[in-house]
Amino acid sequence: MKTNYFNSAILFRWLNYIFLALCAAATVFPFLNIIAVSFSDSRAISAGEVFLWPIEFNWDAYRNLIDDGQLIVAMKNTVLMTVVGTLLNMVFTILAAYPLSKSRLRGRSIMLQAVLFTMLFGGGMIPHFLLINSLGLVNTYWAIWLPALISVYNMFVMKSFFEGIPAELEESASIDGANEWVLLLKIIIPLSMPVIAALTLFYAVGWWNSYMNVLIYIRSTDKMSLMVKLYQMIDLVSPEMLRSGEGVTEQTLTPEGIRAAAIVFSIIPILSVYPFLQKYFVKGVLLGSVKG
Amino acid sequence: MRHSESLHPQPAEAALAAAVPKRGLKRHIIRDKYLYLMLVPVAVYFLLFKYAPLYGEIIAFKNYRLTDGIWGSSWAGLDHFRQLFSSKEFYVVMRNTLLLNLYNLVFAFPVPIVLAILLNEVRWNGYKRVLQNLLYIPHFISWVVLGTIVIAMLSPSTGIVNTILELFGIEPIYFMASPFWWPISFVGSGIWKEAGFGTILYMAAMAGIDPTLYEAAKIDGANKLRQIWHVTLPGIRSTAAIILILQVGRIMDVGFEQVFTMKNPAVTQVAEVISTFVYTRGIENLQYSYTTALGLFQSIVALILIVSVNKLIKIMGERGLW
Repeated sequence: MKTNYFNSAILFRWLNYIFLALCAAATVFPFLNIIAVSFSDSRAISAGEVFLWPIEFNWDAYRNLIDDGQLIVAMKNTVLMTVVGTLLNMVFTILAAYPLSKSRLRGRSIMLQAVLFTMLFGGGMIPHFLLINSLGLVNTYWAIWLPALISVYNMFVMKSFFEGIPAELEESASIDGANEWVLLLKIIIPLSMPVIAALTLFYAVGWWNSYMNVLIYIRSTDKMSLMVKLYQMIDLVSPEMLRSGEGVTEQTLTPEGIRAAAIVFSIIPILSVYPFLQKYFVKGVLLGSVKG
Repeated sequence: MRHSESLHPQPAEAALAAAVPKRGLKRHIIRDKYLYLMLVPVAVYFLLFKYAPLYGEIIAFKNYRLTDGIWGSSWAGLDHFRQLFSSKEFYVVMRNTLLLNLYNLVFAFPVPIVLAILLNEVRWNGYKRVLQNLLYIPHFISWVVLGTIVIAMLSPSTGIVNTILELFGIEPIYFMASPFWWPISFVGSGIWKEAGFGTILYMAAMAGIDPTLYEAAKIDGANKLRQIWHVTLPGIRSTAAIILILQVGRIMDVGFEQVFTMKNPAVTQVAEVISTFVYTRGIENLQYSYTTALGLFQSIVALILIVSVNKLIKIMGERGLW
């Protein structure tokens, strides 16, 4: 009886290991496939031969993208959007979270409710658009940055972290005459680096991937973000995706190859920092789940 | 954890409160002037970008024209709602929105739970960490990229999936152009993006389960499956409840970006959802009032839903969202 249980447990464990390995492989396979496609010869791509390894390795698709230059401009724009946007996010999130973490603050609960309400009920896409339009912000990055200054969820994560900092630490400094600005800069922020790191990453990934707002508010092509540019490139070749591959084989470059190269180009920054930063992401999620 | 300390009165704040005579608001404002000062830009932000658009919802009841402004446009009463509810397109986008979310609830919601249970059984920590890191990756990639990869992989002529099907003698399937396959591809790609990352909260909940419960179950002769059923699942019940509320609250709202990148003219009948409809009709075709009416209807239903699900979860004995 005992040995029987033991054997089935070992069998379960090995099946489980294999199954999970298959899940992980299935998760990353599409990325490996697209990388392989981006380096492959157009003939092999059209024939659907590329699996995990490039066939007839070449850089043509990338050379084409770099010569074209539009994606580079879009990447520069996205870097700007990400850096400024994330900075603004962090400043405003801290400015909101710090006072609201003080239970002695009069009016705190009303303010918290007012903030929470915006999470449950919001003006739709059109009223937002008309507001931005009437403020004259259309086709500027402020139309992207300003409406997204604070993520209410992230603000609550930061607030609950601040609430966990022992009050005595501030108490001694405030007896020495330091005001709240000094307390915030000298004591609270240095103690909050884990949450600041995690939220900075969440905001930054959000900006890097931001798409819908740019689509709605940015009109000039030279201000487009990477993701919108990518979508436009894809949209242009989309009829081919649904039809059979006739007519594309004579060209030296296939739309599929260029598309694959553009995709790899746009995810490299995230994939290259991911291994070093992923523990902060996980920490951030867990910080958010520990409430009150 | 340290967060629980915030529940207890903090000595410093108590001391400060005692130092200030309870003589009204003015003293409080003077004492905390810097805190209020910090909140000024925050308040401006919320009033301007979160509350002002609520005023803009009025145009759902008006015939809004850009030149007349919100207040200057003529009143339309409920005309836009009447037009909306009597149109066929309204039922199509409502049906698609609800169906795609329902598929997600039924097929995608349980996946991270199952994955987390399986990952939790992995005893070899290095292996577990590698698996987790790989499974989280798609969460950080935008829908534009993921949607494009999905379209490329499912392409009937050059996609790897059809190449593999061909090996088994199966005719190429036009996944993205078929009203039957499109929703399946949609839900499948959603699982690909979020299932791995979704395990984090469940894994954390499982780490919090008292190990003696497993010991007791083992002594009672429970095998692995029964341990999972009687110990692990009850341990993650409240986490699952919270995630479920959030999902039901969003049932009127299919993510714009996923649909927008994956849809194409061949599948509009099953792929057009409220957000993409509002975008094309409102932003691109300038039917502001009509689409605002739809947006307002969507927001109100979503609010009612999330409030009632939260209440229901509390009646069932779990901790709600608020």
